[in-house]
Amino acid sequence: MTIVTIVKQVPEAEARVRVQGGALDLAGATFVLDGMDEYGVEQALRLREAGEASEIVAVGYGPRETEQALRTALAMGADRAVLLEASGLDDPLTVALALAEVVREAGADLVLVGGKQADWDSAALGPALAEALGWPHVDWATAFTLSGQAFESVHEIDDGSETLRGSLPLVVTTQQGLNEPRYPTLPNIMKANRKPLDVRPAATEESRSAARSYAVVERERRRVVLEGDASSAASELVRRLRDEAKVLG
Amino acid sequence: MDFALPEELRALQRTVRSFAQREIAPIAAELDREPRFPWPSLRAMGALGLLGLTTPEADGGAGLGSLAAAVLLEEIAAADASHATIMSVTSGLPQALLVRHATPAQRARWLPRLASGEWIGAFCLSEPHAGSDAAAIRTRARRVADGFELSGTKAWVTGGGEAHLYLVLAATDAGAGARGISAFVVERDQAGISFGAPEAKLGQHAAITTEVRLDACFVPLEQRLGTEGQGLVMALQALDGARIGIAAQSVGIGRAAFDAALAYADERQAFGVSVREFQGVGFPLADMATRLEAARLLTLRAAWLMDRGRRVTKEASMAKLFASEAAAFVTDAALQVFGGYGYSREYPVERYFRDARVTRIYEGTSEIQRVVIGRQLYRDRDRAEAPGREAGA
Repeated sequence: MTIVTIVKQVPEAEARVRVQGGALDLAGATFVLDGMDEYGVEQALRLREAGEASEIVAVGYGPRETEQALRTALAMGADRAVLLEASGLDDPLTVALALAEVVREAGADLVLVGGKQADWDSAALGPALAEALGWPHVDWATAFTLSGQAFESVHEIDDGSETLRGSLPLVVTTQQGLNEPRYPTLPNIMKANRKPLDVRPAATEESRSAARSYAVVERERRRVVLEGDASSAASELVRRLRDEAKVLG
Repeated sequence: MDFALPEELRALQRTVRSFAQREIAPIAAELDREPRFPWPSLRAMGALGLLGLTTPEADGGAGLGSLAAAVLLEEIAAADASHATIMSVTSGLPQALLVRHATPAQRARWLPRLASGEWIGAFCLSEPHAGSDAAAIRTRARRVADGFELSGTKAWVTGGGEAHLYLVLAATDAGAGARGISAFVVERDQAGISFGAPEAKLGQHAAITTEVRLDACFVPLEQRLGTEGQGLVMALQALDGARIGIAAQSVGIGRAAFDAALAYADERQAFGVSVREFQGVGFPLADMATRLEAARLLTLRAAWLMDRGRRVTKEASMAKLFASEAAAFVTDAALQVFGGYGYSREYPVERYFRDARVTRIYEGTSEIQRVVIGRQLYRDRDRAEAPGREAGA
């Protein structure tokens, strides 16, 4: 059984991001494998270690630099990688259509993808990919196991957790709590450079939607540091919450 | 001439930086206040391959070169100097010596356990009365049936009592000076080896340091490493590589202090502006950045030469001398940028300052590095002038 794990490269969570002329300036930011996708890669590895999968294919969509994130997935243990090279502003529906082709070609029965991406935050790629494949989709998994074609997936809801059972094929969106991703070992990082990574241009002509423009909305954070010892700072906080923010009665 | 790190090495650096900042940096302050040998994080480092960086893959190591080792050691040191010291010692001294001089049986017995971090290795050269004057060591190895009996006291042993393997230098021929010293491997559970209490030190508290006492400690012949009488020669050669390690560690500690000062000078307001607007703060930041950059370049170049099979005695000493002095300057200047807060334990800068201080002392003091460099200058000149050698040979 083949698992496809979708991988995106995003700015590191602590990266310093500057806004210049209404656009993001990411020069100098460090890019990493998206944390939510990383849970998917880790889960794929665990399923293979449990004997439920034979091959793991990491698939990325984006600029050439996405290769770095794919190499991270390969270093963690994915067998091979495919990069659909595209220059930038494609929306999740367009990306999903292109990725669906690669999933079919790989003959995969299971796709793991981050619940949302750290940069655009749309939470749309997973559902859109399921739709493009015509497969069911379980979202925000915090536990996921396989037994042959049968899956069991858990996700949190407001008053507890929900367990879903069914059979493959399936698209699963992953999130924090699913697992603790491993660090790739140094020898495996070296070996990842010798694993197959297939780069090809993304075919996007089928898309039914297009992103026309993006704008940065800036919001200044109003920071207030309350001085003084704990009890006077607490009194001042209560006063501000009551009299200024009016959130206390 | 290409100063960019290869992409392969940058991938290693990214992973190790992420690991070090997430798993080690957050525990550094607590380990400083409540010193203990940091076994859980050392185990995690071992799992990644960080405790056997330059040991070949066939022996269980990561099989990397000196350049990679220097880059990765800087990352660990920027998170916590104690971890970097333990890493530098176990990888750079016992393992480096075993890789170079061990018999196949000795390699199989010790290297996989050391390279994986299951075992930590320690290095026992200095003695209470013999530091820089290494040939004056008094620990004796007396020949007995089937082996040797070691007696003496070793000082300043990183990992004493915690490490499983001790590489001990002892005199097999007391009259032969530097040529009468041999190397031995002693395991922790052997009879006749014991440990002093952890030394109370200025910094690097988690890199536990003790005396190692050998009292008629029997080691079988198969635990002698290399040729009899060659121990000090082997050790000094290994110290070339180890000095590059200390240089990289110094750059790492300095970088941590510099990054903290850079951020603080931006955030801290005085007279209505960020203090970085004042030359009294901006100039030291410029000096710190410049010295760190120079220190890193010396370090990486020495490592790069070593990877090309060159003898790097001079270059390693230059890197170690300059980088450790730079770390002292940078951590002191960073503390000054922080003002009163720099002197407080509330911020990490005073720890960087204390941790950096020993880099000017261990693996050869700054003074000894100057002796080594000065001696090497004439050796290099005489070699260059020797007849029968073509230019560039």
